[in-house]
Amino acid sequence: MSLRRLSYWLAGLGLAAVVIAAVLGTGQDVGAILGIFTTRFLGIFIEAAPFLLLGTVVSGLIESFVTADDIARWMPRNPVLATLAGAFMGFAFPVCECGVVPVVRRLFTKGLPLSVGVTFLLAAPVMNPIVLASTFVAFGAGPVLVGRFVITAMVAVGVGLVFAFAGRPQEVLRPAALMPVAGGSTDVIPLYARAPRKPLVAGLRDALRMAGDEYFEMGRYLVTGSLLAAAMQTLVSQDVLLALGRGPVVSVLVQQALAFLLSVCSTVDAFLALAFVGSFTTGSILAFLTFGPMVDIKSMLMFLGVFQRRIVLYLILLPLLMTLLIGVWINLNISFV
Amino acid sequence: MRSTHNHHGLDRQTLLKTLILFGLGLYFIWNIASGNVVNYINTRFVWLSYVAAVLFLLLALSGAWNLLRSRRHEDAGAGDHDHRHGQMSWPVLALVAVPLVLGTLVPSRPLGADAVSGNVSLSVTGATTTDFTIPPLSRNVLDWLRVFSKVSDYDEVAGEPADVIGFVYREPDFGEDRFMVARFTVSCCVADASAIGVPVIWSGTSELQSDDWVRVQGQFVVEEFRGERVPVLKATSVELVEQPAHPYLYP
Repeated sequence: MSLRRLSYWLAGLGLAAVVIAAVLGTGQDVGAILGIFTTRFLGIFIEAAPFLLLGTVVSGLIESFVTADDIARWMPRNPVLATLAGAFMGFAFPVCECGVVPVVRRLFTKGLPLSVGVTFLLAAPVMNPIVLASTFVAFGAGPVLVGRFVITAMVAVGVGLVFAFAGRPQEVLRPAALMPVAGGSTDVIPLYARAPRKPLVAGLRDALRMAGDEYFEMGRYLVTGSLLAAAMQTLVSQDVLLALGRGPVVSVLVQQALAFLLSVCSTVDAFLALAFVGSFTTGSILAFLTFGPMVDIKSMLMFLGVFQRRIVLYLILLPLLMTLLIGVWINLNISFV
Repeated sequence: MRSTHNHHGLDRQTLLKTLILFGLGLYFIWNIASGNVVNYINTRFVWLSYVAAVLFLLLALSGAWNLLRSRRHEDAGAGDHDHRHGQMSWPVLALVAVPLVLGTLVPSRPLGADAVSGNVSLSVTGATTTDFTIPPLSRNVLDWLRVFSKVSDYDEVAGEPADVIGFVYREPDFGEDRFMVARFTVSCCVADASAIGVPVIWSGTSELQSDDWVRVQGQFVVEEFRGERVPVLKATSVELVEQPAHPYLYP
């Protein structure tokens, strides 16, 4: 514990040193820089907060009122149809990448086919009305909006079908898949186990309380991501960003790494992506907006609680490679004016 | 012994969480009421801030209700299992409070001349519609750049009168008598802000400070500016004005 605390302190000090060096390096007045940084940070936060709040309230409502049985009942029986449906199920049950893992785990115990669960797991964080709205606000009805949804559906169905052909649930899921998932927010897990439906008022009350807790769970990633994006725009020179952001392959890799590390909720990541639009290729922006919601640090930790280690590796590598290929292909073949 | 200690910590945490949510709700309301919100986002999306304010206050009310209820349970000597989850470390709480701290302590200012990274652009990027029906004297900086991007020859706009507002932007290589009257365009929020501007010839340029808001009246001529022949506004009058209520232009 003390070692951990020490490492936090060291990381904090190192970060502070880098920031101070960067601020001095710009050669501008410190007060002016703080003002610009704050405006940029609050810009992202103020635009994103309503979507984060909507996401947490909806996820609270789902946790209160929708049981895994409800979702299982909605599924088509045919496995291929069901896999396709899995990609769009998020429109009926809008869950983000953190909410989706416990839902999927519970669905597997209800006998949901593996391919359907995997597709739902990867697609749901993007394929839902809240993300549609926030991406529209950030980018308008253009190639980024369309690309985000098309690529996500393609990759999710693709990976899902891989699992349809290879592997039975016993080989893929952890025997302990019924235990609370390690590493994530623990409060969302046992709620699905509570079988009886709640009365309306109690359910609403619980939904709001869970939404409040989840706002803090998710808010920290939004704040961290916004701080980083604002710092990058304010402190890193345009030349450096362009050097990273213009390479058709490098730019995609950089955005995938950022998406993985920042772990920003899919409902609001579009606003962070805006900060990179001027300097990064469109293919890399799309990689950020599609890979991040499928795989990031916090969802990876939650995957580990449900799937065998080997399978988690596939769940990371397949989306990584597919979004990388698609992003690079877009950079090389499509020009956006 | 340990459980009472835990409970106490949780209670304090719930209190702090509730206060942060309440504060964020008030901050959003204050932002809208003071008009500061347009320093951060496109005015088209201000309604989303109303949504955020309502939801923050709703969550804060829910937190307050839980606090009161747990207080009552404590009096009755009963533990409250429902409160067990949601406990998080203090740094996380501090992190979530950062927007509130920065928003209230740092004075709200729109992006200005010192926020320009790289250059102030002389052209608009992206496919935009150009409305030629706007009379020349009503066109803002963005309207003019759109017109420039559509005309086949800059000489077509030579002689047109203009009356625009923007902030002063200067670089050493502009020359003694030149500055740019610049604006930031914002589509969604300041994360996508980009600076655009029109070059101005004005004999009194040396008296202007970077970031001053000015109203420039004059006529366009086609001249060399930074090695390019572009429309340049030859000013007949430059007056200092108040920063407009909407500092950004919305493409």
